[in-house]
Amino acid sequence: MEQADKPRHYRHELPVRDDNVDSSFKYEVVNQVGGEGLLNCLKCGACSGGCPVGSVIDYRPRNVLGQVLLGLKEEILTGESIWLCAACFTCQERCIQEVNFTDVVTVLRNMASREGHAAPGYLKLAQMVLTNGRVSARTQLVDRMREKLGLPPIQETDMERLRKIMEAGGLVRVLEANVEKEEATE
Amino acid sequence: MKRAIAWGCLIPTRRSLLGYEASTRKVLEHLDIETVDIPDETCCAPFWMQSLDLATSVAMAAKNLAKAEEMGLDLITPCSGCFHSYKRVNHVLETYPDMRERVDDILRSAGLHYEGKVEPTHLLDFLYREVGADRIRQKSTRDLSGVSIGLRYGCHMLKPHELLNIEYSEKPTFADELLEELGITSVEYPGRHRCCGGLLRGAQDDVADSILHERLVDVDRAGVDGIVTVCSLCHLQHDMGQRSIKRKYGMDELDIPVVHFPQIIALGFGYSPEELGLGLHTMKTDQLVAKIMGGGHR
Repeated sequence: MEQADKPRHYRHELPVRDDNVDSSFKYEVVNQVGGEGLLNCLKCGACSGGCPVGSVIDYRPRNVLGQVLLGLKEEILTGESIWLCAACFTCQERCIQEVNFTDVVTVLRNMASREGHAAPGYLKLAQMVLTNGRVSARTQLVDRMREKLGLPPIQETDMERLRKIMEAGGLVRVLEANVEKEEATE
Repeated sequence: MKRAIAWGCLIPTRRSLLGYEASTRKVLEHLDIETVDIPDETCCAPFWMQSLDLATSVAMAAKNLAKAEEMGLDLITPCSGCFHSYKRVNHVLETYPDMRERVDDILRSAGLHYEGKVEPTHLLDFLYREVGADRIRQKSTRDLSGVSIGLRYGCHMLKPHELLNIEYSEKPTFADELLEELGITSVEYPGRHRCCGGLLRGAQDDVADSILHERLVDVDRAGVDGIVTVCSLCHLQHDMGQRSIKRKYGMDELDIPVVHFPQIIALGFGYSPEELGLGLHTMKTDQLVAKIMGGGHR
């Protein structure tokens, strides 16, 4: 994830040559749930124009799409750019070609996560869910506030079933892959 | 009318969101809607979790829907993140047969099955379409005129537009109508429909701060008495986040109260600020509440 030597983090080496690209990458994306729209992209930039992240930092969804279409697989899956989308779905609403950028981002993030390149912040949240069943911990202080407000006691979470789902679905494996990756790079 | 209700992770466990739960319960009770909490509810696996693994996330959300299906009830949720996840489950199951098979298998390993029959509704949509503005006006006892607010619809209740399909998703007004029934002036200000950056919290905190800073400047310029939110993340950003933005950007004078949509409706119904948890937010709500309470009866 960290590329401290490249302040403009999503810029690749130019010019891009054939041996720097994986031309089958876009088809890998297209064949996954949510990735179907990718090849429709006209690179018109409507996605970048409405992006709330692009209005505060140097981030352009069109650039991400361009890199994926070009086949810069390594750059995309190990880089930070796919983790900068705030998932507001504005670009998805405005895209005249139904590229569904936000869904494409999910496909890319899933691929990156399986290889151990998930955003540490999200891994931490997922670990919390695997432990508590919720993304936030229950505290005695909040329990008392609930009582004072006349709210029913907070429910226990169905951890047994949740854990089975997270294991059978592969999410636990994804968490492990990222821990291993982190240990290997230390 | 009877509905299952999913609260999500944050609403029942975060101090400033307890008022969202309390006011939602009060409003629905006042409108004679019977609700049953989803038993042993767990995380709905929203967008950030879907980022790690979509199939597992869909199954995690389907787990809560399966409980509603067992009870034979449609579902209401006040959390926009939950709403988005639950809508996504039905969409994915209907659109992708392979994914459906996969999700079925995952659920089977936990002894569960979800057919896809539960209709998830956002609290706001429920109030607008199932209850209706007329009934809300009839039930209200307090005059809220003279109060001006900025209503934030947030992203995940509206986009993509297939979720609600009420009106143009980038400039909706349906929920403003409900507030206006109570006498509130809902101000259309630039930026009110823009993202708050909430989903970048924890992953890209500096970017989340920059986006939130823009949003708070937007509201500040609008000169409203406060903001009303309908999304857990929007509230955490604007209310709790406001304190750190004040510090980070040296905006000492910034002081915008942020209340939950049903808190306003419940005040209109005659409930007291105390029983709606209005004292539990990070930004003080006193001035806004005083203005509301000063309006008299209708």
